[in-house]
Formats: sequence, structure tokens, C-alpha cells
Amino acid sequence: MTGGYTIGAICAPVVVVAVELTALRTGILRRGRFWATIAITLAFQGAVDGWLTKLSAPIVLYRPAAISGVRWPWDIPVEDFGFAFAMITLTLALWERALRCGRAGPAAEPGHE
Amino acid sequence: MDAWQYLIVLGSCVTVTLPLELIGGARVYRRPRALLATLAPVVATFAGWDLIATRRGDWWFSARYTLGPRLAGLPVEEWLFFLVVPVCALLTYEVLGRGARGLRLPGGRRAGR
Repeated sequence: MTGGYTIGAICAPVVVVAVELTALRTGILRRGRFWATIAITLAFQGAVDGWLTKLSAPIVLYRPAAISGVRWPWDIPVEDFGFAFAMITLTLALWERALRCGRAGPAAEPGHE
Repeated sequence: MDAWQYLIVLGSCVTVTLPLELIGGARVYRRPRALLATLAPVVATFAGWDLIATRRGDWWFSARYTLGPRLAGLPVEEWLFFLVVPVCALLTYEVLGRGARGLRLPGGRRAGR
């Protein structure tokens, strides 16, 4: 019912959001642009991941006991969306932080944003 | 041709999103330092998850649809996945940001707000 991947796919987004809120603190979660990026990326994931996981000719195969067995849309294990959300969120938050660090120092723009 | 499937999927992701950098005004590939600072922790975290999961046998990769070379047990395509997908998300995020900030006009002026 709940395999290792299911638990990981639930915990990873929570951990990444916690890291953003407590450590990275870029404020990205409050921006529409972040959520729009998530929506677009997850929509494209449907196509790409749908191809990778299609049961008729799978490129990635899952041990049934590791997943919940809920596959949607097409044959995508729903867990893949938790993995993707966590990975994209961490990516965007780290990117924001990297850009800000790059702007810091003498060339910093006060009041920017 | 079957063995190229995973690589072709990733290549399509790169090809489809490349115009975002070339004509959409996103500056992701052109910020290699910020890109490296972003990707290093993302690859470490999520490829690390992948390595643990494949070692547990939670998922695995088709030998038929991957080229064959493996790094630490993962197909080279799977390593590329951790570079390609975050970059696609960053390009999307940056293009959406440029829309809000206005397009750059010749001479460095900004249109919009």
C-alpha cells in the first residue's frame, strides 16, 4: 500500500519547503511566478514521464511494493510528482539564492525586488 | 534505435526549451556560476535518492531503452536527467520573470514597467 517511494514522495516536498522557509528564505513560495513554473513543469512532466513509465514499453520500472499503485495520468506513478515538485522547488529556491549572492557585495542593488 | 529512447526524450526536452534562452530572453546557460551553484546540491540530493532507491530495488531502468553505459549503477541518461529537468524548469521560471520585468530593447533600455 505505502512503499518506500510513496513515503519519500510525501516527505521530500515537505522537507524542501521546510528548507526554503527556514534556511534559504528566498520568499519564492509566495510568488505567482514560482507556482506558474511548477504548473507548467508538471504539465510537461505528464508527457515526458508518461513516455518513460508507460507500462506497454517502460523505460523506468517500479517494484510494485515500493509504490502505492496509483498511476495517473496514464501509467505515471503519482509518487513521481512528489519527487518532481521537491526537485523543482529546491532548484528554483537555490537559483534565487545564487542570483542574490551574485548581486551581493559592492554591486548590490538596494531595494531591488 | 530502441536503445536511444531515453536519450531522445532528454534531447527533446533540451531542444524544446532552448529557444527560451535564445529568443525568450532567459539567462540560464549564460550564468554558469549560478547554474553550477544550483545544480550541485540538486544533483547530490536527488541523484542520491535515486542511487538509494535503485539499490533497494524500488525502481530500475530498461536495458532495452537505454544505451548501456552506467555510472555508479545508473544509466548515463539518468544522470543527464538531473541536469536537463532542472534547467528546463529554470528556463521556464526565467522567461516568466522577464515577462514581468519587461523585455530588453536594443540599447539596454527596458520596455514595460
